Amino acid sequence: MTDTDFLQADEQALAQRFIDNGFVTTPADDRAGLDRIQRRAAELAADYLKLPHSNDPYAMLDSIHTRVSVDDLNGLRLHVFNGLNAEAWFRPTYFRLARSTIETIVGNELCMQRRVNLSIQMPGDDSSLLATHSDVWSGDSPFEVVVWVPLVDVHHTKAMYLLPPSLNGEMQDKMADLRSAEELYKTIKPHATFIEIPYGHVMLFNQTLMHGNRVNEEPGTRWSMNCRFKSIMSPYADKRFGEFFEPILLRPATRVGMQYKLPGGFHG
Amino acid sequence: MAERAGHRGYIGARPLNGSRTPQHVQNIVIRDYARRKNLQFLLSAVEHIMPGSYMVLEDILDELPRLNGMILYSIFMLPPDEARRREIYDRVLREGCDLHAAVEEITLSSPKDIQAVEDILLVNQYATIL
Repeated sequence: MTDTDFLQADEQALAQRFIDNGFVTTPADDRAGLDRIQRRAAELAADYLKLPHSNDPYAMLDSIHTRVSVDDLNGLRLHVFNGLNAEAWFRPTYFRLARSTIETIVGNELCMQRRVNLSIQMPGDDSSLLATHSDVWSGDSPFEVVVWVPLVDVHHTKAMYLLPPSLNGEMQDKMADLRSAEELYKTIKPHATFIEIPYGHVMLFNQTLMHGNRVNEEPGTRWSMNCRFKSIMSPYADKRFGEFFEPILLRPATRVGMQYKLPGGFHG
Repeated sequence: MAERAGHRGYIGARPLNGSRTPQHVQNIVIRDYARRKNLQFLLSAVEHIMPGSYMVLEDILDELPRLNGMILYSIFMLPPDEARRREIYDRVLREGCDLHAAVEEITLSSPKDIQAVEDILLVNQYATIL
C-alpha cells in the first residue's frame, strides 16, 4: 500500500474480487455466532418434529430429509424462520458474521432487511425451487447486496448458481425474446456457476446478477439464510426503508444532519 | 399423473392504477382471501418490475398442470392486451384450473365468468376518477 491509497491492499483485493466475480466468500467473522445460529436452528427443527435436541446440529440439519416429508417442509421452515427471527440476538449476530466484508463492499452506515430469510432444499425436492432471476427484477434496489450463509457445507446442486458479471449484461439483453424463466435458465445454463461454500464461511453477492437454484442432487439437505444490506442513503426501489429495511448503523453525523435546521425568520 | 395441489399467489413490484402496495401487504391480502375461500395458498411468485414483462406469469401458467389455480393480488395485474388476456383465461380453464383476484374478490372458473372480468378492465380504461 502506498500513502496515496485510501483503501488498504486487502480491501482493494476484496473489492476487485467482488467486481470481477460478482461474489466473495470469506470465513465468518464471528464463528461462535454462526455456531450459535446453527445450533438454535437445529433445536427449533427438533422441537417442531417433537425430537430431542441433538448433540450434532450439523448432522441434524444435513439429514433432515430423513425425518420430514416434502408436504411438511414449509411448516418446518416457517417454525425455524419465526423462531430464529424472534431471538433478539439473531440479527445482530447475523450482521457480525460478515461485518468486515459488508463494510468494505457496501459501507459502514447500513440498513438491514427486517427479517433474515431461511431456505431448506431437500435432496430431490422440486417444490422449493427459485427460478432464474435477479432480485432487482422483483423490486430490490441495485444498491443492495445479499449476505448468504449456509448452515451446512454446500456445493454443486446443493448450492445456488450465479451468472458471472462478464456475461450478465449479454444474457439480460436476450430476455425480452424469451417467454419464461425456464427458457432463461436454459439460455444461461452453460455459463452459470454453482458456488461451493463450506460451513463456517459466508458469501456476499451482487444480486443484480442472475441467480437461482435447481433440484438438489446431493445426499444432504441444504440449509441457508439470506439477508439484504445496503447503505442507508443509497437509492431504494420497491423494497422501502421502514417496511422492508431498518437502520442498524445510523451514524451521529447523519443524525445531526437530518435534524439540523438553518436559522429562519429573515424578512429581507 | 401427479396430484394437483394449491393455488399459486401472484404479486408484483409494479404500481397498479398509479398506486404502490408493499409486497408483504399484497401477500397478506392474498392469504386472507385464500383463507376465506378455503383455498390452499402457495408461496407467491413476484412479477418483474420491468414494464411489459409477464415472464413470471408465464412460469405460473406453465405450472398449472400441478396446481388447482392461481390467485392474483389484483385483476389489474393482467396484461393490457385483450387477446393475450383471453389466451390466459383459455389456458387456465383448459388446464382445469381457476383464476382468482383477491382485491376485487373475483373468481374465474368457467367461460361465462370471462366477460365480467373484461368489463371491469375495460371500464377502468375509460372511467375517470375524481
